[in-house]
Amino acid sequence: MSPAKPILLAEDNPRDAELALAAMEEHHISDKVVVCRDGAEALDYLYCRGAFTSRHRGNPVVVFLDLKMPKVDGLEVLRTMKSDANLRSIPVVMLTSSREERDLRESYALGANAYVVKPVEFGRFVSAVKELSLFWGIINEPPPDPSTSKT
Amino acid sequence: MESLKNEESRVSHAETDGAVSDVAAPEPDSSGTTQVPWFRWLTIERRILFGFSLVFIGILLICAISYRNTRVLLDNSGRDTRSYELIQVLRDMDVATDEAEKHLRRYLVTGEPIYLGNYREVVKQKTTLVTYVQDLARGSVDQEERAERLNRTMERQLAAQAAAIAKLAEGGIKAVKKTALDGPAKQEIAEIHRIVAAMDQHERETLRLRVRQSAAETRKTIALLAAGALLQLVLLAAVYYLIRHDITQRRRVAAELKRHGALLEAANKELESFSYSVSHDLRAPLRHIDGYAALLRKAMADSMNEKAARYLDTISASAKQMGQLIDDLLVFSRMGRQEMFRTTVDLARLVSTVREDLRLDLHGRTISWTIGALPSVPGDPAMLRQVFMNLIANAVKFTSTRPAAEIAIGVDRRTPTEVVIFVRDNGVGFDMRYASKLFGVFQRLHRADEFEGTGIGLANVRRIVHRHGGRVWAEGAPDQGATFYVALPTEGGVR
Repeated sequence: MSPAKPILLAEDNPRDAELALAAMEEHHISDKVVVCRDGAEALDYLYCRGAFTSRHRGNPVVVFLDLKMPKVDGLEVLRTMKSDANLRSIPVVMLTSSREERDLRESYALGANAYVVKPVEFGRFVSAVKELSLFWGIINEPPPDPSTSKT
Repeated sequence: MESLKNEESRVSHAETDGAVSDVAAPEPDSSGTTQVPWFRWLTIERRILFGFSLVFIGILLICAISYRNTRVLLDNSGRDTRSYELIQVLRDMDVATDEAEKHLRRYLVTGEPIYLGNYREVVKQKTTLVTYVQDLARGSVDQEERAERLNRTMERQLAAQAAAIAKLAEGGIKAVKKTALDGPAKQEIAEIHRIVAAMDQHERETLRLRVRQSAAETRKTIALLAAGALLQLVLLAAVYYLIRHDITQRRRVAAELKRHGALLEAANKELESFSYSVSHDLRAPLRHIDGYAALLRKAMADSMNEKAARYLDTISASAKQMGQLIDDLLVFSRMGRQEMFRTTVDLARLVSTVREDLRLDLHGRTISWTIGALPSVPGDPAMLRQVFMNLIANAVKFTSTRPAAEIAIGVDRRTPTEVVIFVRDNGVGFDMRYASKLFGVFQRLHRADEFEGTGIGLANVRRIVHRHGGRVWAEGAPDQGATFYVALPTEGGVR
């Protein structure tokens, strides 16, 4: 895998973000994680605009999306991504507290690649995040970057 | 938690209220025509039937009166015809006898047989005419008597005339000269005139009376019919009022129900968004508590003493327990509003898969199972699975202290509309005094260190069974085991 490809984590709760990072740390992948604090920031990152205008071009290897976020929520980010030809192929994992059937149905209808309910138990949370990062960040081969392949 | 419970009880109250007001048709405040006590006891259907019966009886009465009057009028008109006929016949007879006498006198004077024609005609027709008169006069004693007198007088007249004719044949014109001048039946003819006049007058008088009677009868009938029709109108108006009143009432109840339904739906929506936030927001801090406790443990790994480690464990355990509570509560609230999927559920198969799933929880325990024949019932398979999963898991859990655990499942009894299924165990049982608490949310009859659990399972069971239109109850005694009963509507009982 290309070392330049980061994992994008959209999570409004700093504690959740910290816990997720702590979980990834064990596999030394936390340094590849970009944390966005809401949906708007995540979209800014994906479109290289706002605070991310000067970031290294290229799509993240996977996006971990929280559902409930201020400004632009997870479903909105997912909808925007899946209707954009450049972003459509990025794998998206919904990482949320909600087990509501409605959320599950809507997420998959919009094209989410996976849906993971954050376990309350830290041990299980750690292993879930670890496995997710391992699979999507290392084991899974991401699609070729459309924007870079053109150049 | 409390608010959830209240919500449920409110909902079930609204349901029973709706059902009651639907059945109770005679409202106590239905004023107006419903002042008579016994009338109040009648249902609206019976009241309407009663009203229509009165109208029907009224129509029958009007028909009877009209029929009777028409019969009288027809009768009278028949008698009138006979009266006119009698008058006519009498006049004809009068004229005929007169003519016959006149011609006979001419015959007696001239001896010309041609003058005998009228006499012979009278002789020939006398019997017919008299019988006819007698027939027409029947019904009135006076007239009958006069007809009889007429008959005799005519006989005498004809006899006198016959004698005159015989005398002429015997002694020639001279012998009958005097008779010819006077007329052979002068007295009888005069008598006939008198009788005919009397009969004529009597008949005309009767006619006049009868016409007056018919008119009076008709007037009376018209008055009766008018009164009857008026009564009908009043009755019909009353029935109309009853029906309209009932319809208004029903419409009001329907509107009320609709309003309640809308309120209920709004409350449900609210509850849904509430439980959504609970699901999302309440779980996050718990995750943080457990997470940071774990991070702390890791950070302090070297310098942590035993006491501090135990405190951290307790923090984690509490967070996990609350997480479990929230999850159970969410399942419970979802059960209440989830759309029901209706199909036929084979309970025998359902119970066997539940037992299969519970095998891991047995941890090598041996349980003696007695599973009777189980029927298929209409319902939601996932929900009913939850019911039996809970009941059987409870039975397994509460027999864990028994050396020889026994669990029996079967049909207790069945009626045409429902089937009662029992789940019996020989576990620790419960005190019947607390039976009412058994199915409440977060109600537990055992301490947490005796048997684990959040106290939501049986609340779920009751909620699901209620949604299926069934009932659930339990019997037991401390240390004597417990039996749970689930009454579910069968195909015949589902409305």
